[in-house]
Amino acid sequence: MRLPFVALTLSLAASPVLAMEDFVLEDEVALCMSCHGDAGVPIEPDYPVIWGQQYFYIYTQLRDYGAGRRQNDIMTPVAAEYDRDQAKLLAEHFAALAWPDIPAEIQDGDEQLAERGITGGQCSACHGKWQGDSRIPRLAGQQVGYLRKTMLDFKNEVRMNAPDKISTMKQLDEETIDALSRYLATIDIQ
Amino acid sequence: MKSGISSIAATVTLCIGAYGASAQEEVAGGTTLYGDLQSVTQSMLTRAAGDGNNFLHTNGNYAQTRYYPASQINTSNVKNLRPAWVFQTEVVDTMETSPIVVNGIMYVTTAFNHVYALDARTGKQIWHHKHSMGPVTTYCCGPNNRGVAVAGDKVFFGTLDAKLVALDAKTGKQLWETQIAEPELGYSETMAPSVVEDMVLIGTNGGEYGIRGFVKAFDTETGEEKWTFHTVPEDSVGVWTTEDATGRNMHRDIEAEKAALAEQGDPYETLGGGVWQNPAVDLETRRLYFVVGNPSPDLDGSLRPGDNLYTDSLVSVDLDTGEYVCHLQYIAHDVWDLDAVSPPIITTVKDASGNDVKGVLHGGKTGHVYVHNADDCSLIRFSEAMVPQEDMWTLPTAEGARMLPGANGGVEWSPMAIDPNHRLSYAINLHQPMTYTVRSTPYPEGKLWLGGSFDVIPDEEQWGNVTAVDYDTGDIAWQVRTEQPMIGGILATAGGLVFTGEGNGLFKAYDSSNGGELWRFQAGAGVNAPPSSYTVEGQQYIVVAAGGNAQLNFKRGNNIIAFTLAD
Repeated sequence: MRLPFVALTLSLAASPVLAMEDFVLEDEVALCMSCHGDAGVPIEPDYPVIWGQQYFYIYTQLRDYGAGRRQNDIMTPVAAEYDRDQAKLLAEHFAALAWPDIPAEIQDGDEQLAERGITGGQCSACHGKWQGDSRIPRLAGQQVGYLRKTMLDFKNEVRMNAPDKISTMKQLDEETIDALSRYLATIDIQ
Repeated sequence: MKSGISSIAATVTLCIGAYGASAQEEVAGGTTLYGDLQSVTQSMLTRAAGDGNNFLHTNGNYAQTRYYPASQINTSNVKNLRPAWVFQTEVVDTMETSPIVVNGIMYVTTAFNHVYALDARTGKQIWHHKHSMGPVTTYCCGPNNRGVAVAGDKVFFGTLDAKLVALDAKTGKQLWETQIAEPELGYSETMAPSVVEDMVLIGTNGGEYGIRGFVKAFDTETGEEKWTFHTVPEDSVGVWTTEDATGRNMHRDIEAEKAALAEQGDPYETLGGGVWQNPAVDLETRRLYFVVGNPSPDLDGSLRPGDNLYTDSLVSVDLDTGEYVCHLQYIAHDVWDLDAVSPPIITTVKDASGNDVKGVLHGGKTGHVYVHNADDCSLIRFSEAMVPQEDMWTLPTAEGARMLPGANGGVEWSPMAIDPNHRLSYAINLHQPMTYTVRSTPYPEGKLWLGGSFDVIPDEEQWGNVTAVDYDTGDIAWQVRTEQPMIGGILATAGGLVFTGEGNGLFKAYDSSNGGELWRFQAGAGVNAPPSSYTVEGQQYIVVAAGGNAQLNFKRGNNIIAFTLAD
């Protein structure tokens, strides 16, 4: 994916508070990798893979954390330090890395349940073949635990920065969410 | 390079369609090509409705009739229709392209903005242009592209990062590109542009992202903007109508809306109103007719008091200036996303007194074909409902309320066709029972903003149909049910046929007078794109893309398939 930095003259909300004055990309990358893994495999099963994730999606999530639209005890204070350009540098760095191969297993009946959920929620309209694109995150090969947590966080109105997903996820029962998590985690698009 | 996209591009020439020895062969990398690539004159574009050789506009001609005047392939011989060739694009993903054919050269597009020029006789690739995509793209409903416009020596297309691009028709090299609007705010392009004289016309996607919609005209030579019509005026309030265009009560709480207006002000800056299908062009009156999509956020009316002009409307503007002429709003203050998307058609219709007048047809997501007087946009009549309507207009609730049609229609973006001899319009429809859920959230600064969700009810049967409507009476003349909801488009021909495809891979020909199925072909992936037709060296072809559909999750593919009569 090509990642030029374009000069955006936008009428969007103001940048989060202040830019980190002593921002050094390598230091911030190291901070990120302490949780998201130094080879792309996160240290916890419900932390997301960000190596090879979509540039604009990473940037948007950093912005949302920083502005309080997405809440997380670890990420919110970290992201609040970055201004728009710093967030873009980090997003560019991680988007350019190779997506890791994380083993996952599908169970009998998962595919059928997942397909039913996908059709009902019209998921593929945006998520396509799960490869992600720009503002749409890659889901294929993501960690099972993170996928499950994310869908449940939408369903239970914990994650609020994509509110339209709340209504969609409320239509899915936990069994379907579990199946969908395993299904997406095992999709190989390398 | 997008992951999951095949890197293999192959041209498969099948056994049918032998060409005369005198046919000029193309020279790879050289200058000798079949046909003249630099010959799309305004006269050709203007007279396209009678051109049985080329297919020059996304919807066939400026009136957008999708009625092709050639009749070599007809009701008596369509049973002998066979694939002439199959071209496989590099991108295995949703396809909505309308193939454009100029003097034996075909232009098609794919998801993620690839453009191909092909030899229309053989399917052999002449050039391939892959758009250099910026970092921010937007699409609610698949990474679609519906094709190119052609004029002079140029090919024009819009992109998912909200650019208008001009290519050299002979080489595929980029001549210029123009940033139409800011992609980070949710603007993007999936429609094919239209060209009239020195103007390239294009609207915008983004009704699901809180954009302010428009139609713009750009200079064909330079890409400089010539005019803009904002589909949402600064006063978007309207007349507080409580009924839709068919006279049914929409259960608006006008007092609450007036209170919200006093508190919040006019919502025009983020009110949506995308235009993502081609306008019909009337060169006689120098007017455009197009339909405007849904208000933002789709399901939450509390943040957008008023009629939300000109969303969900047929609008006419002056071709040369973009100035407003007239409009008719089908659904004021829509909270169901049952907006106006299928491209309008100009044709002669009977008015209420039985006199022939210039009319405009639009196939609605509501399932009605609306028949307008072209002079003032007024509604002459609306057809019988082509799909079940139940509990209209039940307001969305926090728990989800069932109402039919579902939010995809009726008629989705799929262009209709007409046969002016039969005085019939042909539409493809969906029946997808859904619940409508509202969840109010503030403007999310260019992110998806539906204000709730529309969810398919998994236990209810879905299906589709092909429906012919007598636009002089509004009566359904014939109707054929299909296994799956229909999306993609339809073509009528002077051979007494209509062609349309289905999500299960079937591509069919029907008798346009009575709906009798005369031919079918299994394409192996969803046929969810509008067919075209053309004639080269005396041989008529029907061509269609089979790439499936992301929105309805129909099986993806990457084929352009051209059919002609077996020897």
